[in-house]
Amino acid sequence: MSALESFFDNVWVDALWRLLAVLGLMVIVVLALTYVERKFIARIQMRLGPMRTGPYGIMQPIADMVKILLKEDLRPASADRIAFELAPFLAFVPVFLTLLALPFTAKWDVRVLDLGLLYFIAVSGLTVLGYVFAGWASDNKYALIGALRTAAQLISYEVPLVLAVLALSMLAGSLNLVDIVEKQGRVPFIVWQPLGFFLFMAAAVSDLSRRPFDVAAAESEVAGGPWIEFSGIRWSILYALTEYTNMFALCVLGSLIFLGGWDWPLGLKWGWWWQLALIFTKTSVLILVVMWVNATFPRIRVDQLMSLCWKLLLPLAFVQIFLNGLILVYGWPDWTFLLTSGLGLAAAGYIIYSVIPIGAPSRIVARSNA
Amino acid sequence: MLGVLRSLTETLRTMARKPVTIQYPTVHRELSERERGYPLLLWDSEIGEPFCVGCHACERACPTECISVIMKDNPLAAEGKSKRRKIVEQFLLDYGRCIRCRICVETCNFSAIAMNNTWDGQEMSRYDRGELVMDLEQLLAKSKAGEITPWVAP
Repeated sequence: MSALESFFDNVWVDALWRLLAVLGLMVIVVLALTYVERKFIARIQMRLGPMRTGPYGIMQPIADMVKILLKEDLRPASADRIAFELAPFLAFVPVFLTLLALPFTAKWDVRVLDLGLLYFIAVSGLTVLGYVFAGWASDNKYALIGALRTAAQLISYEVPLVLAVLALSMLAGSLNLVDIVEKQGRVPFIVWQPLGFFLFMAAAVSDLSRRPFDVAAAESEVAGGPWIEFSGIRWSILYALTEYTNMFALCVLGSLIFLGGWDWPLGLKWGWWWQLALIFTKTSVLILVVMWVNATFPRIRVDQLMSLCWKLLLPLAFVQIFLNGLILVYGWPDWTFLLTSGLGLAAAGYIIYSVIPIGAPSRIVARSNA
Repeated sequence: MLGVLRSLTETLRTMARKPVTIQYPTVHRELSERERGYPLLLWDSEIGEPFCVGCHACERACPTECISVIMKDNPLAAEGKSKRRKIVEQFLLDYGRCIRCRICVETCNFSAIAMNNTWDGQEMSRYDRGELVMDLEQLLAKSKAGEITPWVAP
């Protein structure tokens, strides 16, 4: 037994099995999420989704994987070979790195960093580099336009994302994810920071380039964006593996910092399985919300995307930070967080409804329902 | 914002509805009585012979000339069991040529031919065109089994 323990105490062995565990987690997450998304969106559209492979089509992701692995790995003759073949990994590695810093329960993590939140935000922003590489190397105008759109979108939306998270870390007084979870105690930060949560989710949906923010991959405009020329295994790394793992990582982060992670609710100390169940539930809820929004809204235009970010989300993020600072400096009671942030969220809702042009389609929907 | 929330609830409400998909090859939609499958012959179960007397009316009316009929003297009429003095001996209908125009059904003086309103009148893929030429037995089989409810245009 001691020989086994000392074997796992070796730094390299320890690192290796942790990395392999994260890799396995990624594969499981991608397989599960492709199935869940297809089923969920199918139900929203009154379809059944995959039904043929296995009971209720449960083996569909396996079949998809086999099909993708067997497909020919095509490369355009005029593509930049090195950049083209490395781009999927460039997109994939940052997402992989983000998972390394996420704690799943109080004990289950790869490494807890003191600046975990900062690390997560910084590294997840690198994914766009892979897309830009892919778009540039494909030698395809749609891919290039898609890549540039991805870059523009990410640069814009990373700012409110960072600011929302920053406003939250002001409350927590820490950037360590475990500390943040433990700070929340009986009241998750979503209660104190509804505006921050809204900003975070909007930026996350945009970060994942899902509707209504999927201008980068818009099939009807740029025919799929950066990954248009990719096929087979490279496509699956660049698109499926990266996107779904990114979605999973962002939703885990959201459930950690906004929904109270493994502590809230009830504060029961039943052990790791209870914590894991809580994290799993909260993450699933957030993922389903992202898919639900994805299935509900039409894509907004590029200029609307930009104006939404720079004219609405960014000022509100600054307002949130300013209000938090004010409350913290003067030591006002906790409920003022809820009051100010809630007012900010209401203001955001009103502005989306009335001022910014993306309110227009929603008003059309309202009228046609009446 | 209200519109945003409204559309979100709309999709959620749609989710609660029953999916409209029918798992086609394993589950078959119910066909209506006036479904227009390939034509077939009807069986007079009271006497135990086809309604068709082989009068060639459908053969002459058929725009694609996919019907061939041979008539014979009815042995049951000689025995006094049937009022039909002539009866069909052989009836060949090429489903590969038939355009399901329903003219044969309209012209038949004895209401002896009808459009197949079961799924057997729809799923007609064969490996050989020759297998699509139906003879009398095949054309009567569905009606003999009582699976056809003849539909008459009002």
